[in-house]
Amino acid sequence: MFSFKRYRKFILPLIILLTVTEGAAVICGATFGKLFEGLYRGIAFFGNMYPPDWSAFSEMLEPALQSIVIAFLGTVFGALMSIVFALLAASNLSHPWVRAVTRFLIGLERSIPEIVILILLVAAFGLGAMPGVVALSLGCIGMLGKLLADIIEEIDPLMIESIESVGGNKLQVIVFGVLPQIIPNIISYTLFRFEINIRLSVLLGAVGAGGVGYELDYSFGMLQYHRAFTAMIIIIAMVFGTEQFSYYLRKKLKMEGALK
Amino acid sequence: MSMAKLTLPSKKYRQKMTVFSAVVVAVALACIYTNFNPLGIFLEFHYVRDLLGEMTPPNYHVLSDNSSTVMAILQTLSMAFLGTLYGGVIAVIIAFLAASNTMPFRAIRLTARFALSFLRVIPILVVILIFVIAVGPSTFAGMLTLVIVTVGNFGKLFTEMIENVDNPPAEAIFSVGASRMQVIRYSIIPQILPTLIANLLFAFDVNIRAAIGLGIFGGGGIGFQLQLAKSVLHYKDVTAIVTLIIIMVIVVEKISDYLRRRILGEGKLR
Amino acid sequence: MLEVKNLTKTLPNGRKLLDGISFKVKKGEFVGILGSSGAGKTLTLRCLNGLLKPDSGSVIIRDELDRPFDICKINKRELRRVRQKIGVIFQGYHLVKRLSALENVMIGKLGQINTFRSLFYGFTDAEAEQALKALDKVKMSQLAGSMTGNLSGGEMQRVAIARAIFQSPTLLLADEPISNLDPSNAKTIMKMIKPLSEHMPVIGVFHQPEMTAKYCTRVIAIKEGQIIYDGDPKLSNKRLEEIYGEELELIEQQEHLLAAIAK
Repeated sequence: MFSFKRYRKFILPLIILLTVTEGAAVICGATFGKLFEGLYRGIAFFGNMYPPDWSAFSEMLEPALQSIVIAFLGTVFGALMSIVFALLAASNLSHPWVRAVTRFLIGLERSIPEIVILILLVAAFGLGAMPGVVALSLGCIGMLGKLLADIIEEIDPLMIESIESVGGNKLQVIVFGVLPQIIPNIISYTLFRFEINIRLSVLLGAVGAGGVGYELDYSFGMLQYHRAFTAMIIIIAMVFGTEQFSYYLRKKLKMEGALK
Repeated sequence: MSMAKLTLPSKKYRQKMTVFSAVVVAVALACIYTNFNPLGIFLEFHYVRDLLGEMTPPNYHVLSDNSSTVMAILQTLSMAFLGTLYGGVIAVIIAFLAASNTMPFRAIRLTARFALSFLRVIPILVVILIFVIAVGPSTFAGMLTLVIVTVGNFGKLFTEMIENVDNPPAEAIFSVGASRMQVIRYSIIPQILPTLIANLLFAFDVNIRAAIGLGIFGGGGIGFQLQLAKSVLHYKDVTAIVTLIIIMVIVVEKISDYLRRRILGEGKLR
Repeated sequence: MLEVKNLTKTLPNGRKLLDGISFKVKKGEFVGILGSSGAGKTLTLRCLNGLLKPDSGSVIIRDELDRPFDICKINKRELRRVRQKIGVIFQGYHLVKRLSALENVMIGKLGQINTFRSLFYGFTDAEAEQALKALDKVKMSQLAGSMTGNLSGGEMQRVAIARAIFQSPTLLLADEPISNLDPSNAKTIMKMIKPLSEHMPVIGVFHQPEMTAKYCTRVIAIKEGQIIYDGDPKLSNKRLEEIYGEELELIEQQEHLLAAIAK
C-alpha cells in the first residue's frame, strides 16, 4: 500500500513514456530485440572494414587539410560575426528593440542545423569550399552569439557607466570596457567551437563542401570500404588532434592573465 | 603585491598589430588555398536572389499532397526519441561499468572506458554509412546511429557523474551489509537521476538536429525529404520543409527546456 | 562653479524621490552629501553628470570659456563634451578589471581624444607619461602595470582618483567612495581627495558623517528628497538624529575606532 503511494507520481509519466516508445518503435521499425540485432550487424560490418587501405593514405592528406582549413575559416569569420551579434544582443548595450530582434535571429539560427544551411547554399552557389565556410560561419552565431551576449550582460553596469561618465561614447565603452573583459571568454568559446566545426566540416564535406568528408562518402559509394577505413582513421586523428590543440591553447591562455 | 612590468602604449600597439597581422595573413592564405572569397557572397548575390525567387512562396501542400511529409516528421522525431532513450540507457550501463567506484575489475573498466573514448571520436558520418549498409537505408539505420552517437557524447559525462557522487551515503549503506548492487540502487542512482534525466532531455534536443542531417545520408525522415525535394529542384517544397524543420526543432527545444527546468529547478545546467 | 536648481523626480505612484533639490557649489569647497538610505543622495549625484534625468530642474555647469550648460537639457554630444571635464569616483569596482592601472587612468581622457584614434591606435606614450604622473600623486606608480582586478579596494580607489586627476576636471563627483573600504584606507582616500578641492568643487556622497566632519568644508543633508541641512560639516548629535533616525550609537563607536587608528 505505501509503496504504491510513493511511486504514484511516476505512473503517469511512465505510461506516457511507454506509449510514445511503442509508437516510435513502430514508426522506426525498431523493437528492442531488433535494436541489438542492428547494433550487432553494424559492429560486424565495421569489423569487415578493417584493415585500412594504407596506399590511399597519402591521397587523403590533402582533403584532410582542406577540411581543417574550411573549419578554421568558418570559425574565424563565425567568431567575428558572433561578436557583432553579441554586442547587439546584450541588454546593457543595446536598444531594447535591437536586442529583441538580434536575440530572435540568434535563436532562429540555433534552430537550423548547419546541414540545412549548407544544402541551401549549395543550391545557390554550387559545390565547393565556399558554401562550407559560410555554413560553418553562420552556424557559430547561434552558439557563440548567445554565450557571448550572456557574458556581456553580466558585466558590472558600473564599469560601463564609469567610462560613459568620463565622456566615452558607445564605441569606446565597447572597446575599452566590454572587449577587455570578455576576451578570455571569446578565445575559450571560439576554441571550443573550432572543435565542433572540425566535426561539422567532415559531415558537410560529404554533402558538397569537399575535403576528407567527401572522400569518406565517395569511398563508401564506390564500395571501397578499406579506403573508407583509412579516411576514418585520418578523421579521428584530425578530431583528436584538434581537441588536444584546443585544450593546450586554453590552458596556456588561462595561465596568463587569469582573472574572473 | 608583486610589481608587474609596465609596457608603454606604443609597444602594446606594436604587439597587438603583430598578432593581428599574423591572423590576417593566416586567414588570407587559407582563403587562397580553398579558393574562398569572403566577398563572394556579396559579389555573387544574384545567385541568392535567383534562388530566393525560386524558393518563394513556400509550398505547404507538401503536408497534404501525400502523407510522406507528415510521416517523415514523425520518423525524425521517433528516430531522435528512441536513439536518445536507448542510447541513454546503454550509456548509463556502460558508465557504471567504467566508473571506478562501481566497477572493481580493472579489465572491464578499461575496456568500457576505451569503448566510450572510441565512440566519442568516431565520425558520425562513418556510423550512418555503416548502418545504412548493415540494415538498409531506413529510419532504423538513423536510430541506431543516434544510439551510438548518444553513447559517445554522454558516456564519459555519465561516468564522471557516477564517480563524483558523494561517498558517505555509499559507505553508510555498505556498513549495514548491503551488496554493491544495492548501493548503486539506493545511493548512486537517486543522486544522479535528476541530472541524468536533464542530460537525456538535452540529448534529445541535440539528436533531433542530428537526425535531420542523418536523413540526407539514408537515415530517412524529414532530412531525406529535404534532400529529395532539392535534388528534383522543387525549391518551393524545400522552403516549406525548411520552415517545418525549424518549427520542429524549436518545439522540441522548448519542451526540452521546460522539462529540464522542472526537473532541475531554475538555472538550467547540464 | 556648479548650480543645481529645483531637481524633482517623482515615481508613477506619486512618491517624490527628489523634491526641489537646490544648491550651489564653487571651487575650494569639498561638499559631503549625507542622508539615510533611499533619501535621494545618490540620485542627486547621478543628476549632476547626466546619468539620471530628473523630471524637472536644472544642473548648470560652466565650461572653460565660462559658458553655461544645463546638463539636464543638453544633447548626447554636448553631454559627452561636458563630461570630459567631470571626474567621477564610484563606490566599489568600477574600473575595468582586465586592464592595467595605467590604462584605466588613461581612459579618463577618452572623451578628449579623437574617437578613431582611440579605437584603432589606443593611447600615446605622452599620455602614458602624464598618466604615470597622476598615479604618482596617489602613490600608485609602482603598480601602474598591474592588472586592476588584482589590486585591493583601497588601491583601486586610488587609481580612480588618479584617473580623475588625469582628466584635469572642473568638477569632481564621488559616489560613496569609501563605503567599501576599511577605516585606514578610507582615511587615506579622504586625504587624497581633499587637496583636489583647491582646484575644483568636489561633491561626494557619504555614509560616514565622522569622515565628512573631519574632511569636508560643507555638508548637505537630504531626507525624503529634500535638503534639510546645508552648512557646517560638524553636525550636532541632534542634527544627526534628524538625518538618520537612530544611528547615533554607531557613529559614536566609529569615532572611537578612528581615534584609535589616528596615531
